[in-house]
Amino acid sequence: MTQPSPSAFSIRPFLRQARGVLFAGCVLSCLASLASFGLLFLSGWLLAGAAAAGIGGIVAQNMFNITLPAAGVRFFATVRIVARYGERLITHDAALRVTGKLRVWSFKTLAPRSESLATQARSGDVLSRFVHDTEQLGQFPLDVGLPVGTAFVGALVAVGVTSAFNPASGLALALGMSIGGLALPWLIGVLTDPLSQQQRDHTARLHADMLETLQGMADIMANGAAQRCIDRLHQRQTTLNRLIMGQAWRAHIVRQLLPILTMLCVLSVLFCASKALQAGHLTTAQLPMLAMGVLAAFEMVAPLMDARLAYERFVQAAQRAGALCDLPIATPEPSTPVALPQHAPLALRHVQLSLDGHRVLNDVTFSLAPGERCAITGPSGAGKSTLARLIMRLIDPDHGSVTLGDKPLNHFTTEQLSHEIGMLSQTPHLFQGSVRRNLLMADPQATEAQMIAALHIVDLHEEVNAMPQGLDTLCGEHGTRLSGGQMRRLALAQIILRRPSFLVLDEPTESLPPSMGTRMIDNVLAALPQAGVLCITHRPEPLPFMNRVFRLHNGCLIAEEGGER
Amino acid sequence: MTARLHARAPQTLSRLTRLAAVPLAGSVILGGGGAVFLIAQMGILAQIITDLAFRHHHALNELLYAGLLIGCVVLRALCQGSGDMLGDYAGQTVTSSLRMEAMEHLFRVGPVGLAGQDSGRIATLLSEGIEALHSYISRYMTRAAAMLVTPLLILAMVAKLDGWSLLILAITGPLIPLFMALVGYSAQSLMDRKWTELLLLGASFLDTLQGLTTLRLFGRTRDGLTILAHQTRAHRRSTMAVMRVAFLTSAVLEFFSSLSIALVAVLFGARLLNGTVAFQEAFFVLLLAPEFFMPLRSFSASYHDRQNAQSAFTPIAELFTLPPLCQADCPSSTSAPLQSVQLDKLCAGYGDEPDVLHSLSAHFNRNQLTVITGPSGSGKTTLLRVLLGMMPLRSGQANAQRADGTHCPLESLTIGWVPQSPFLLAGTIADNLRLAAPHATEDALQDVVQQAGMSDIIATLPEGLQTSLGERGAPLSAGQIRRLALARALLRAPQLLLFDEPTADLDAANAAHVADAIAQASSGRVCIVIAHRSDLTRYAQQTLTLSNGSWTQTGAVS
Repeated sequence: MTQPSPSAFSIRPFLRQARGVLFAGCVLSCLASLASFGLLFLSGWLLAGAAAAGIGGIVAQNMFNITLPAAGVRFFATVRIVARYGERLITHDAALRVTGKLRVWSFKTLAPRSESLATQARSGDVLSRFVHDTEQLGQFPLDVGLPVGTAFVGALVAVGVTSAFNPASGLALALGMSIGGLALPWLIGVLTDPLSQQQRDHTARLHADMLETLQGMADIMANGAAQRCIDRLHQRQTTLNRLIMGQAWRAHIVRQLLPILTMLCVLSVLFCASKALQAGHLTTAQLPMLAMGVLAAFEMVAPLMDARLAYERFVQAAQRAGALCDLPIATPEPSTPVALPQHAPLALRHVQLSLDGHRVLNDVTFSLAPGERCAITGPSGAGKSTLARLIMRLIDPDHGSVTLGDKPLNHFTTEQLSHEIGMLSQTPHLFQGSVRRNLLMADPQATEAQMIAALHIVDLHEEVNAMPQGLDTLCGEHGTRLSGGQMRRLALAQIILRRPSFLVLDEPTESLPPSMGTRMIDNVLAALPQAGVLCITHRPEPLPFMNRVFRLHNGCLIAEEGGER
Repeated sequence: MTARLHARAPQTLSRLTRLAAVPLAGSVILGGGGAVFLIAQMGILAQIITDLAFRHHHALNELLYAGLLIGCVVLRALCQGSGDMLGDYAGQTVTSSLRMEAMEHLFRVGPVGLAGQDSGRIATLLSEGIEALHSYISRYMTRAAAMLVTPLLILAMVAKLDGWSLLILAITGPLIPLFMALVGYSAQSLMDRKWTELLLLGASFLDTLQGLTTLRLFGRTRDGLTILAHQTRAHRRSTMAVMRVAFLTSAVLEFFSSLSIALVAVLFGARLLNGTVAFQEAFFVLLLAPEFFMPLRSFSASYHDRQNAQSAFTPIAELFTLPPLCQADCPSSTSAPLQSVQLDKLCAGYGDEPDVLHSLSAHFNRNQLTVITGPSGSGKTTLLRVLLGMMPLRSGQANAQRADGTHCPLESLTIGWVPQSPFLLAGTIADNLRLAAPHATEDALQDVVQQAGMSDIIATLPEGLQTSLGERGAPLSAGQIRRLALARALLRAPQLLLFDEPTADLDAANAAHVADAIAQASSGRVCIVIAHRSDLTRYAQQTLTLSNGSWTQTGAVS
């Protein structure tokens, strides 16, 4: 289970950022554990020493100084409390910082992979990776690093101190602690790792299924599949319960081996110490002291078994995070972006593209100057939307080039291109929040007047006004509060606010009555007279406004008869 | 049905706990047994140490005691282990059944009732939120009981041994839970805030994730990052506020317990020096004193679990209070075919908002295709939702009449629905079709695919019906997804067939093909199509136009 994960993900850079804090936390943690050891060790000696002195008669009683060890007990107790408090505060804060950084990092990693993500991963799964795995990864120093470091330092000190009094006892303690601190964690790992991997897989699947069920509820119910869906979730949950309980009983058995081991170790130390006592190498008071020391020492190795369980969770979380890193980036950003050319034409030359081993575009050559208007028609699935994604550089062609003013698109960053080219996609995504928020997403600087103007252009203004909260009406998740036509028009209003030089419209008049579609196209073109427009459509409404009309057939563009207007 | 569910829905955490009363009780009893063996174990250890140190016994003379000691330790480990196991079992039982009940309830609420909710938020609640209840039940509940049992047993033992120590422990012990409760009340609001922020983070990440492409197209990826970084910071701050209180509580607790253990030790030291108490008793009490505070300390550590659970439970309980809008499917009493569907002065609307549909009446006959048109936002989709039983009527009636003259509610019909943007499950094309009929044969699938005009497209896919679909139906185009949904609806052999813009996104040839399929499908059933395009009206026997929730014109086209 300790083989390195195949991916590029490593926790190290994140830990390095929090290095100082983590080190301080580790020091405090060691201090607290050692104080705890000292406290028990000293109070065992105090009691036995006082008792021995009590038996020894009046001289021994007067010789025995109780003030100093009593002060020592108070000192250790205070150090333990303060160090423990400080350690917890520091390390939890550091862990949360690491988690936060991991969350931002995972978003940064996912952003350029949006295209691969859409086809290869399920949102529910990614969500649980985001919330759960980043937390698991961030907890690494707290759950694994700290207990291991503390147990190591503590064990060295405890064995050293015990050996100083009686080497045989020290040896017995060292043996006991290495079984408790190494063998038992190993055992718990061997017994639970396979189950915990299965458990994580099943949990991920259950969460993804639940999210899918929630988002597809309408379709599931309309297909009479509600009960079947619930039954399937039930089945998943039952399997998961079995795995979790199987893991729990294995872990509990191993955990309970530790107190048994502790007592065996106490007995062996007592055996060695009593020999030394009889040989005169130890005093009466030191025997209870050593016994108490063993009890305290084992408290330090107790967290190691849970640390081993946490380590396995960490490894799995790291593997999953690595799998996300391994998703291909469809369109890598240029290392040194060049400046955007002004008023330059957009051109495709001999573009060829296959998706999933299926040739979509064969040989497409086409150019669009600013202010020019072209339409592309063709049957469903002919690759029209793929063409639009090429122009937006969401994908790169296999052969040929897509250029803006003679510079291939891969010379520009996505952000640069986003200012230059605006696209109305067939399934626009609206963000949760109000109509206003969605418009501001498109253009953060937009004024109220600009927003209203944009809504006017797409004929949405009156409808938004009629809504109870106007611009502040909530759209619902994925715009569920809006009708299909309203969603599309709102998405178009977003693009108008951005005033791009090129406009790619994928089925702009869909879900709209023909008269409204015609009016809208007219308004949009009037609002952006300088823009080069590529309109993908199989509806007739936009065609009268176009300069040229092409038909995409068998992966090639064919100029339509009478297309030149 | 509804009443029974509401009675079953857990309103409070303690009622939820009652579901697992038996394993929890078992866990507490085993914990008590463990405490008895713990006391015995410490007594024997004190005996052995005193024998070796003060009575100068040879180590081998202590073998009997050593055997007894190991016996006690093993028995205690057994009690403790099985007690913990029962606690885990209780936690797992309660959380998994709550999760399933919540899912069932959400289905009763239905998609319209859930429209205002974020599915990312609900998903986080059902996973992380319910998970938080697990440690509350398995740890907090058992420890709360152990906090009473173990210290009382130890006190009883100490009472026999030493009066002074009894006094010290009996005074400091109860102070601890008292103090914790005081701190706990103020910490609850902090914990609530932490949960609100975690849920917000989950919902906004899912939304951002699904809109990643849009963010890229707007060049706003960096802003998405800023928002996310801000939210994680807020979440860290509120979590730390909760933690700080929890750590302070346990620091105070440790202070109390250390103070009283030190007091016990020093008092014994003085009296041992005078020779007024025996070492064995003193050592025994010293061994027991930390164990007296141990359950109190672990209780305080799990008090955090309780607050966590309480904060997580509030929004979960709110899910159960969402009103069920969906009608339960009721099996029909007669199998006679559907003759017609009537709407009679039907009114419907969302939440507290005004009516969307105003007193609609209509008649839809078998073998008849009705096309309902109207401008965007005129209430067409709402009407469909009413017909689908996803939202209740405010007034009026929607009824079905069978061929034998009997009337029945719409809910007893088999309804097929092709939505405007169909949701596809992660799985193969065949899996998605079989959502409607899990046992459909390959031939039946091919048949409906043929009827929906999809067979050519599927034939070009390398794996045919076994092609896996990504989220949102990739690699199928929007038009192809629509036709797949049509095939799925036909597979149910529905009595009432509803379409929402069935030909949108399709080119003329494909649209005509689908229109033909719809016209064919309408024979033998009631068929209603919502469209604002004209390509279906020529197949329609009835055309209705909806505007602002009422009919503006009705016509029958032959």
